[in-house]
Amino acid sequence: MLLEIESLTKSFGGVHAVRNCTFAVPEGQVLGLIGPNGAGKSTVVDLVSGFGQPDSGRVRFAGESIVGKRADVISRLGLIRTFQAPREWRNLTVMDNVLLGRRRFADESVWRCLTRARRIRRAEEADRAAVRAILERFQLAELRNELAVRLSGGQKRLLEFARVAAAEARLIILDEPMGGVNPVLGVRIGEAVRQFAAEGRTVIVVEHNLPFIESTCQQVVVMDLGEVIAQGPFSGLRDNPRVVDAYLGMDQSHG
Amino acid sequence: MYWVSVFTEAGIFAILALGLDVVWGWTGDFDLAFYGYLALGSYMTFVLTIGKPTPPVEYIIGWHLPVLLSIVLAIVVVVGFAAVIGAIALRNLRGIYFAVTTLGAVSAMYLLVENYTPLFDGFNGVYGLVNPGQTALNLTYNGYRIAFGVVVLIVLFLAYLLVQRLSRSPFGRMLRSVREDERAAAAYGRQVFWAKYRSYLFGAALAGLTGGLFAIFVSAFNPSAWTPQELLVIYAAILVGGRGNPRGVILGTFVVYVGFIELTRYLPSPASRPDFGPALRQVLIGLMIILMLRFRPEGVFRERPGVDSEREPARPLPSDAVGALAPAATGGPGVPGVPGVPEGQAADDGGSS
Repeated sequence: MLLEIESLTKSFGGVHAVRNCTFAVPEGQVLGLIGPNGAGKSTVVDLVSGFGQPDSGRVRFAGESIVGKRADVISRLGLIRTFQAPREWRNLTVMDNVLLGRRRFADESVWRCLTRARRIRRAEEADRAAVRAILERFQLAELRNELAVRLSGGQKRLLEFARVAAAEARLIILDEPMGGVNPVLGVRIGEAVRQFAAEGRTVIVVEHNLPFIESTCQQVVVMDLGEVIAQGPFSGLRDNPRVVDAYLGMDQSHG
Repeated sequence: MYWVSVFTEAGIFAILALGLDVVWGWTGDFDLAFYGYLALGSYMTFVLTIGKPTPPVEYIIGWHLPVLLSIVLAIVVVVGFAAVIGAIALRNLRGIYFAVTTLGAVSAMYLLVENYTPLFDGFNGVYGLVNPGQTALNLTYNGYRIAFGVVVLIVLFLAYLLVQRLSRSPFGRMLRSVREDERAAAAYGRQVFWAKYRSYLFGAALAGLTGGLFAIFVSAFNPSAWTPQELLVIYAAILVGGRGNPRGVILGTFVVYVGFIELTRYLPSPASRPDFGPALRQVLIGLMIILMLRFRPEGVFRERPGVDSEREPARPLPSDAVGALAPAATGGPGVPGVPGVPEGQAADDGGSS
């Protein structure tokens, strides 16, 4: 198991955002995390990635306990998460955004930047070549010198994925990657997720778009009111009355 | 000689502006304690150089060190002081809360220096650093002032090279990612506090250096020489020249100091209202800020993002660093079914740039 979440609990004031949440993700799997609004999905993502501290419970990543660690520390262990809205670095170029995703932390020291400038520049050339290839893959190569703020909404999504791809993380958590995305772009995003899996990365997808979950995820965890109410392959969930009651039924009534 | 001193002063403040731009322009922290670092650097340079005080004058230390060594020590003291304030203010405070906290810190320091005479002799201040090295270099008074002006411009040029190198380095890029979005920076493994802290200390070091040069320039220093509000002029200079662009920051400082502050001295001041000129100067600087923000908010020189100059982007190859990305699955431009909206948009945006 790459990620093990055990009895995770968090409340904000009197609201139990996450209650006794337990599930695990095996290495190499694509796991869908679904549930109605307010089910606690995003809170779980925040707690796991260090953007919030749980009241109680355990989280182990690659065998190491990561509760109480800062977000940047967890990220350096190999866990990259996205946010519901793409959080591009607006006034940096597309190229710089993705280069930052390469995460050469050692080269970001003041001293090294002053004394080893040439060596760092050479290392960066290799990185730039890799980033150009990634940008090509997400059809952003032509825009690499544009400021990220100038991109369209869909292009920002693609930039987000390019950045994630550049980071070469062991575990990728995508928080609603399909939010506000048109169908054509949706196809590309589905491909990107499958490609992460093909590269051997573990992916957790938080999403409301059930066809997307069905086509990309091997396992699904369903949450409602802060609790895990079901877990298993997507096909098995249709018959689970609790799931239908909490989520799928509502979705069908809309459809 | 007047213009020599104007350019020397502008050169000194340009170094301060370069330091402040690292903190505000690159990292995004609107710091109001910065002028205090210049003042502390000046005071330290004085008390390390001018020897024992003769009563009733009193101040701390009173050594007789060579002035260059004093400036180095002054920088160390300033960085140490900034390390304390930064550790408190940068940890959780952002935006206006950070600004107010640093303003509080510098105001407290100002009041302390004014009223606690054993420190730097209160309102009287410290003096006596008159043209250090003039006799050794065998220069006339005017010759010394010109030589000092040249030295300041050389130091400014070196500071520019240093800052410019950092600006284009991974360090500069990382600081700007923190400025643009802290949470995203943390999600990609950046230690936000440590990044801000390093930038803050680097800026403070330049402020300390400025303080040392300023001490030689003015040869006497007291609280009236450094009201914290003067910092706003430096902010105006950065804004005019181009926040985040070292070249622009230097240009902006010269425009503000030479163009506005000095040229407006020639404004007529009626004898009955001697403060008319200086007051009008403030108005003009305010007006300039408003006009810049309205018509060219990025400044004369905009921040230069790193330009990736390779003409044709490399095609994804199935071997090397991107090995695992099988071209078939990525849907390159040639794959049927996927081209369309994103590519069309790409072409449009590319054309407009």
